[in-house]
Amino acid sequence: MDFKKITWGLCASLTICGGFSSCSDNDEPKIDDNGSKIELPASRVFILNEGSIGQNNANISLFDPDSKTIIEDVFYEQNEMRLGDVAQDMIEYNDYIYVSVYKSNYIARLNAAGVEQQRVSFASDPDLQGGVRYLAAEDGYLYASFHGGVVAKINATSLRVEKKITGLGANLEGVAIENHMLYVANAYEQTFDPETDKNVFNYLTDLRVIDLSKFELSETLTVAANPNQVLAEDGKIFLISWGNYNDQGYEFQMIDPKQNNKVTSLGVASKMGVGNDKVYLVYALTDWTTRVTTNTFSYYDIKAGKMVNSSFINDPLKQLENASIFSIGVNDENGDIYIGLTNYTTSNGSFFRFKKDGSMLYDFANCGGQNPSKFVFIDAD
Amino acid sequence: MGAAFLCADICARNTAEKADTVHQVEELVVTSRRSPNKIATPMPVQTLSSADIADLGIRDMADAVRRFAGTNVKDYGGIGGLKTVSVRNMGAAHTAVSYDGAPVSNCQAGQIDIGRFSLDNVGMLSLAVGHSDDMLQSAKLYTSAAVLGISTEKPHFGQGKNFSTRVQMKGGSFGYVSPSVRWWQKISNNVTTSLDATFLRADGNYPFTLENGKYVTRERRNNSAIDSWHAEGNVYAAFPGSSELQVKGYYFRSKRGLPGAITLYNPISTETLWDENAFVQARFKKTFSPKWSLQALAKYNYAWNKDQEFGPQFTGGVYCATHHQDEWFLSATGLYRPAQNVTIALAQDGVVNTLNSTMTECPNPTRYSSLTALSARWNTPHFTLSGTLTGTYITETVETGDRPDDISKINPSLSMSVKPWADRQLYVRLMYKSTFRVPTFNDLYYYRLGSRTLRPEKADEFDIGLTWGHSLFPAMDYLSVTLDAYYNDVTDKIVAFPTTYAWRMVNFGKVHVTGLDVTLATSFSLPLGMNLALSGGYTWNKAIDLSDKSSKTYRNQLPYTPEHSGNASAILETPWLNIGYSVVAVGKRYYLSQNIPANEIAGYDDHTLTLSRTLDFRKCSLTLRGEILNLTDKQYDVIKFYPMPGRSWRLSATFNF
Repeated sequence: MDFKKITWGLCASLTICGGFSSCSDNDEPKIDDNGSKIELPASRVFILNEGSIGQNNANISLFDPDSKTIIEDVFYEQNEMRLGDVAQDMIEYNDYIYVSVYKSNYIARLNAAGVEQQRVSFASDPDLQGGVRYLAAEDGYLYASFHGGVVAKINATSLRVEKKITGLGANLEGVAIENHMLYVANAYEQTFDPETDKNVFNYLTDLRVIDLSKFELSETLTVAANPNQVLAEDGKIFLISWGNYNDQGYEFQMIDPKQNNKVTSLGVASKMGVGNDKVYLVYALTDWTTRVTTNTFSYYDIKAGKMVNSSFINDPLKQLENASIFSIGVNDENGDIYIGLTNYTTSNGSFFRFKKDGSMLYDFANCGGQNPSKFVFIDAD
Repeated sequence: MGAAFLCADICARNTAEKADTVHQVEELVVTSRRSPNKIATPMPVQTLSSADIADLGIRDMADAVRRFAGTNVKDYGGIGGLKTVSVRNMGAAHTAVSYDGAPVSNCQAGQIDIGRFSLDNVGMLSLAVGHSDDMLQSAKLYTSAAVLGISTEKPHFGQGKNFSTRVQMKGGSFGYVSPSVRWWQKISNNVTTSLDATFLRADGNYPFTLENGKYVTRERRNNSAIDSWHAEGNVYAAFPGSSELQVKGYYFRSKRGLPGAITLYNPISTETLWDENAFVQARFKKTFSPKWSLQALAKYNYAWNKDQEFGPQFTGGVYCATHHQDEWFLSATGLYRPAQNVTIALAQDGVVNTLNSTMTECPNPTRYSSLTALSARWNTPHFTLSGTLTGTYITETVETGDRPDDISKINPSLSMSVKPWADRQLYVRLMYKSTFRVPTFNDLYYYRLGSRTLRPEKADEFDIGLTWGHSLFPAMDYLSVTLDAYYNDVTDKIVAFPTTYAWRMVNFGKVHVTGLDVTLATSFSLPLGMNLALSGGYTWNKAIDLSDKSSKTYRNQLPYTPEHSGNASAILETPWLNIGYSVVAVGKRYYLSQNIPANEIAGYDDHTLTLSRTLDFRKCSLTLRGEILNLTDKQYDVIKFYPMPGRSWRLSATFNF
């Protein structure tokens, strides 16, 4: 109850502040809200709900952190069509939102209201039919990884595919840019072993480094098996490898471009988010005899250059102790930390919001879709 | 009272009073219409004859089975789409399928794709909740929660003829062409043979309407082409001393495109499935004396399939998986009548199943099963009490890794039927059956997902029913009404349990199913040699998920489980033309576990109209049939994003000589 009062008080002060800033700002709108069919909040948290495969139920929700209200499936509200099957990634670049949809195999550019401006489909390109995965952007271009071992360079305005590098491996996953270099995870290959007469998954150990000035492969780093999530923060690249689901588990690594791309293993983690000069980490371990998953929270202090094996959340919450954590997002503007929880295919996910100092603001029981995988923050003020 | 009702009445009394001859009644050649629902059986049994299948324009096995009350058919659309049947929402793996008395198995997937069975040579379809009332059956059929029985048509010959041949050609929308030939030959007074061969091809690329918000587009279901071949030969021999032998050889092969679920904005589909299935089975029955009978059954089954998909995500640009299963099946059932009204049967099966697969890390398991069923029935003119005790022992070997624990289970069932008034065909029936399904090879060994510590999934079935048969006036051949209320409790349900990034099969789920099945069937003899048969069924079903109290899906209706569903049909037979009309209607359902509006899938009704005419010539006859399927062109999905065809037509010409 106290919490509600505090929140409403906070909302009121923010609204007043917002009012003042509007008066002083005047004129040109900072962001593109053209074509919006709905009233939009000033502070916007776009939540990408991955959905479940084969169900075409990927969507984007728009959450207003001030009023604590959510517009479910804002993509449908604004565009009167569904997002598609398996939303993979969503980034903000130059105040536009770019979203990649894996099975539907396209990238769309949305304005700050979630209204689609442009899209490019890869369904008819034989090189890109494996499906689009993750996105990064720099200097007017998007860089997208694909299953099938391809990275595409795409004009961020026209969404035209300008160039492709093929043969980068098998199934590429996470991407991140640092110092004009694109780091791409080459995760695993699915092939046939005639010796055992079995189909096999080979978990690869490659992190491709692409020189964006020439758009060609610069080098390949050896990392822990099955590299997947790649993020950049404070001049460093951070990577989580998923292991081989057998004797090799999850591994959290750092790549330092200033030290000749030196790879350092920093511990175990199954999910991460970056911001506030930190890498926020969670490691989920399931005891299959009890079917209980236990989460361990930690963080890497980038400035101090050290792992801190204590939780980045104050007073670890019972609700998070055994939950299935699907994503961690950090708002660069105010340092807020969002933790997305999943109920997988059974029901819609939820999320928690924390302040930068780790104190909890609130939890929100319905994120409007299944598997909340990414948070993108846009402030209209 | 019409002849047909008399037949039903005889069936009823035979069941009640002379249990050991029930199986003989099954083999009678029925030339007049009879009630499709058995009213005197302690466990619910519904039937569908070959005549009804033809007259109602039933398009395939799935279409036939969904007309049985209490069934839930998952149909992934088109001729080649997977079709499985779950009875009273216990899951498809709890339903056994028998083909001329021998169980059909699929240890890898657990569920049987009923879409591959041809209707062309089916004589009778039956659905028994629990098990059928024929006590001379294999132990496997005693242990199942429900049995879909497919009985092929046994050769019968016209006066003075020693052969019968049927040549049939079917054609229809979406490139559907299916020629078939059947040849029945009487070798001697005691030996007859039959040979059936069917080829089927279809482009299957039917149009459908895709609604995606403001976009309503007409699309085509591409990569749905199918070619299939089916051949079957039977030898029926009767020996002196009341014994008979049926030997069957069966072969099926198909190649079909798998279009998969509709993926918005991406029409690319490159997956193809090849299936091959061959089996040889022999069934021997002997009646030693009025007290002793025996059935012996032997079967070898070979099943192979290959799944291939193209795409740059696979090294070399192609993914290919093959699976090969073998089954050796032996069964013997002895039936003994120690007293006039007591029958005891003991059935023993021995089964060996193997899987050889290119699936990642598949340990090529071999499963040895021993199934025993001891069954007893006590009949009086007013009362039938049946009880069965089944014992199952399963052990498995694997080439790599740990083998699962042996399974050892004993399960009882009890049923009874009471006829309060001697002169009225009114019965009250009660049933309890404890049953289970064993983990499939996929449950146990699927790469990363499978778990070798799984236990069997348990189910308890309860049924209380009221059945009534009557003829209200002379022109009414029969009227039968059945009403069954049921409750099923499924525990230790085998489900894929998600945790962060790794899913695994576990015994976790718990489901309660409460339902009501109502069936009604009647037939009238009309002037000018006409006959009108009406039938209908309605199911109310509440199947709720009780797996996890903290889940948002707790007490939610299971996905793809309509609360209301039903069907109705009418067949008007005239000397000039036969007209069949039927409708299947299903209420709204949810396609995902959470019962929220976003997960709702609309209900549908599917109407079929059939016209047929038989022209008799001196030594032959020609039947012409026209069918309009999905008459109202309703666009619907049984499984979300697997659209069903809209209105389509079929024509067939059948030449008998």
